[in-house]
Amino acid sequence: MTVTAERETEVVYPDPTPPVLGGFQGLPQRPGWLSQHLGTAAIGAVLGYLLGHWLGNVVASGYTNIADSGVNAVAITGGLLLGVFGWLLGIGALNYPLAKMVGLELRPDYESTSWTRYLRYTVDHKVVGLQYVIGVLAFLFTGGLLAMGIRTELLSPSSHLFGPGTYIAIVSEHGTIMMMMATSVIVGPLGNWLVPLMIGARRTAFPRVEAFSFWIFTAGYLVILSALFYGGFPTGWTGYAPLQTQAGGGMMSYLVGFAVIGLGMMAAGFNLAVTIINYRAPGMTWSRIPIFVWSILATCALLTLATPTLVAAGFFGILDHTAQTAFFVTEHGGSSFLWENLFWFFGHPEVYIMALPGFGIVFEILPVFTRKPLFAYKVAAAGMVGVALLSFFVWQHHLFQSGINPDMRPLFMLTTELISIPTGFIYLVGLGTLYKAKIKFEVPMLFALALFFNFLIGGITGVFLSDVPVNVTVHGSFFVLAHFHYTIMGGLIFAFFGGLYYWLPKMTGKTMNKKLGQIHFWIMFIFFNLTFFPMFLIGLLGQPRRVFEYAQNLQALNDFSSVSAFILGASFLVFVANFVWSIFIKPTPAPANPWDSLGLEWQTPTPVPYYNFERIPVVLSDPYHYSEENAPAVADLGEEGVLVAAGASSPASVAEDPRPPAQ
Amino acid sequence: MSFGGRLSVVLGLFVVAAGLAVWAVVGFMLPTTPTVDFTAAQPSGAPVDLTVQTVGTIGFGAHPTWVSYLVKNPSGQWVHSTVWKVPAHTRINLTIEQYDSGSPLRNQQWGLVAGTTGGVATLNGKPIALYDSNSGNGVGHTFSIPTLGISVPLVGIADDAKNPCSQAPCTTDFDHNVIKVSFVTPGPGEYPWQCYVPCGLGFLYGNGGPMSTLGYMGGFLDVTA
Repeated sequence: MTVTAERETEVVYPDPTPPVLGGFQGLPQRPGWLSQHLGTAAIGAVLGYLLGHWLGNVVASGYTNIADSGVNAVAITGGLLLGVFGWLLGIGALNYPLAKMVGLELRPDYESTSWTRYLRYTVDHKVVGLQYVIGVLAFLFTGGLLAMGIRTELLSPSSHLFGPGTYIAIVSEHGTIMMMMATSVIVGPLGNWLVPLMIGARRTAFPRVEAFSFWIFTAGYLVILSALFYGGFPTGWTGYAPLQTQAGGGMMSYLVGFAVIGLGMMAAGFNLAVTIINYRAPGMTWSRIPIFVWSILATCALLTLATPTLVAAGFFGILDHTAQTAFFVTEHGGSSFLWENLFWFFGHPEVYIMALPGFGIVFEILPVFTRKPLFAYKVAAAGMVGVALLSFFVWQHHLFQSGINPDMRPLFMLTTELISIPTGFIYLVGLGTLYKAKIKFEVPMLFALALFFNFLIGGITGVFLSDVPVNVTVHGSFFVLAHFHYTIMGGLIFAFFGGLYYWLPKMTGKTMNKKLGQIHFWIMFIFFNLTFFPMFLIGLLGQPRRVFEYAQNLQALNDFSSVSAFILGASFLVFVANFVWSIFIKPTPAPANPWDSLGLEWQTPTPVPYYNFERIPVVLSDPYHYSEENAPAVADLGEEGVLVAAGASSPASVAEDPRPPAQ
Repeated sequence: MSFGGRLSVVLGLFVVAAGLAVWAVVGFMLPTTPTVDFTAAQPSGAPVDLTVQTVGTIGFGAHPTWVSYLVKNPSGQWVHSTVWKVPAHTRINLTIEQYDSGSPLRNQQWGLVAGTTGGVATLNGKPIALYDSNSGNGVGHTFSIPTLGISVPLVGIADDAKNPCSQAPCTTDFDHNVIKVSFVTPGPGEYPWQCYVPCGLGFLYGNGGPMSTLGYMGGFLDVTA
């Protein structure tokens, strides 16, 4: 879809300064086996943990409460924090600041094509993006295995596989891992990989910050996982005080892990937000940026503004356990409500951190497989910004049942219902795009369509839940659990897989097996609904969340849900088999633009060059003018020609739409 | 790398990941508390004699400083377990040897003997129906089965006891109180029991640690047909 045309606006850019990385200039080049990679990160983490734990024991083992309880929160916290520090030191994340502190420079980065670059600290956003793919899949499958444990336990109301404490530890670990994974599941892999390409940039604004966000994210994963080895934590993913303040060593993993991952979330959000604002190609005005980029911008705003609250709350919790402060201890002048408010001030925007990029993905997929323009592009963008803004004003609906001032309930009920308006805009944009469309049912499109089905159920039940009377009735039940699984898993995770099937050919240069993709989709879609829809009924019939026993009469529904969950879990194995087979074992090269997309990211060769674009493109319109007569040209790609929609008389449209390049 | 090589690497990594998952489940998630079976010890329908003890510090295992219950199995050996299998519709003669000290209760309701045969217990041979925890040595723990309405206060030994036990299992040579009650088991099912006196020393409010860990201050009465 590119035609050769003389470039009207010649924009000359200096060669980009290569991002730097690796050894120190002025010091001898170290041999390859001494270079920093995942192995040195692991060694650093172990040494850091041992040092921190030893220091904690030296400092605090004589404290009365520690001697009595046998739980040294100071040693655990010290071990985890220094373990994270050692991990970052070992991977090389601190090389640059350390070099600057002693007046050294780092050696320039080099363009590596070795697979080992995926095990290193790298500033190539495409490598970081693929590192994130593997990272979030590890999160997802760990959380999924724990979910299988939960459903196995719930096969019987009275015969138990796990003890009650272990069960709540598994539930808590599952929830925390999944929610932490979900915050980064799209921003991390797809946001980092795609945004610079979509906006015509050669890199992100802060490549080291970007890489830092991934490696601290992986450290956070290990920290949260370590809770199992300390006996777990009993609070669920919300970590409510006062239960939090009474819990044992596993709680420290939760608090440190959340705080550490929060730092990564802020870093990722800050980097991408600055990239989108400052690194857009000439002509990439706000009304031309891809809708996925809008969704990432809205998400990054939430990540940057909401997450500091979580990190601060995490550190307060750590201090309560280690330094015996009383931020969340009511009897000593603190307040357990403080945690609940700080947590949900982050936690509810987090819901939209998860939802918005999912819609961004499907809005990229819909026009391509309907060959129609995206319906009401500006409404979609406005809806995303509206949701992001309103998400800061609804958090107290999580506290309707916690003893808040009853007069506050109507206000937060209203704000919560209000947010359904921009959400509805977003949903209608999708339906408008699908209206009268000739749909190509490729695998990414199947996942995109499934999102609309799932999110409808999740969204409508969400409106019910925002109403105080319903909320009071079903609070803490499986009804709530079913609702948020429909929105998060039914929305975000389906969008994520749709996005993977859509962009993996560009990201990896390999074609995913279509038949296995379809099998994956249909099993996942059918058994997702068979797993979670019965939970609405189970909840309405009174089964509470996080309890490993339930009424005998609910066994049939629970067993149906459990068996469906096992098959749902198996569907992910189909994806893994497809991924491993198609990418590693028997790879089939993918064409540069297999879906005939107008997106800038598809106009690059495969594999995408180190600096993305030989020449920065000049953007002339948004990339959604599919099947339009007299469609404007999308971008001037320089020597490769002008990108136009099929059927459009592009050279004329270039002349009609000469826009000055943005600075 | 050849096709076979790539396949081998992938399969090898899969085996390692599966091994790690199995190790985590077996090593850290499956229950470590054994079930002590009293169903075969007596002829069908005959009363079951159940003897347990509470100790301030168990002195061994993963949490040696924690307070805990122990039970004497049908062979007469003390076992660190709080999951007891007993027959349905059977009289249980429960003897509790209390080796821990006590304190005044936050809620005097827990000083009431409830749900036992006759609504009474015996403390060192003397019947009691309500114990005033503000007098004497106070109450150290309770043995409570909420779903059966059973609750028994376990009166503590003196804080300045001359011969306290600090290492389980304790023998009757050490200072202790003996509390005896009887009750009849209901139909088959799993009935959780719990100490309701916050006694998790070192944990804020006393409800953490042993109070919320199976095998220490709570467990199950596994009633079978």
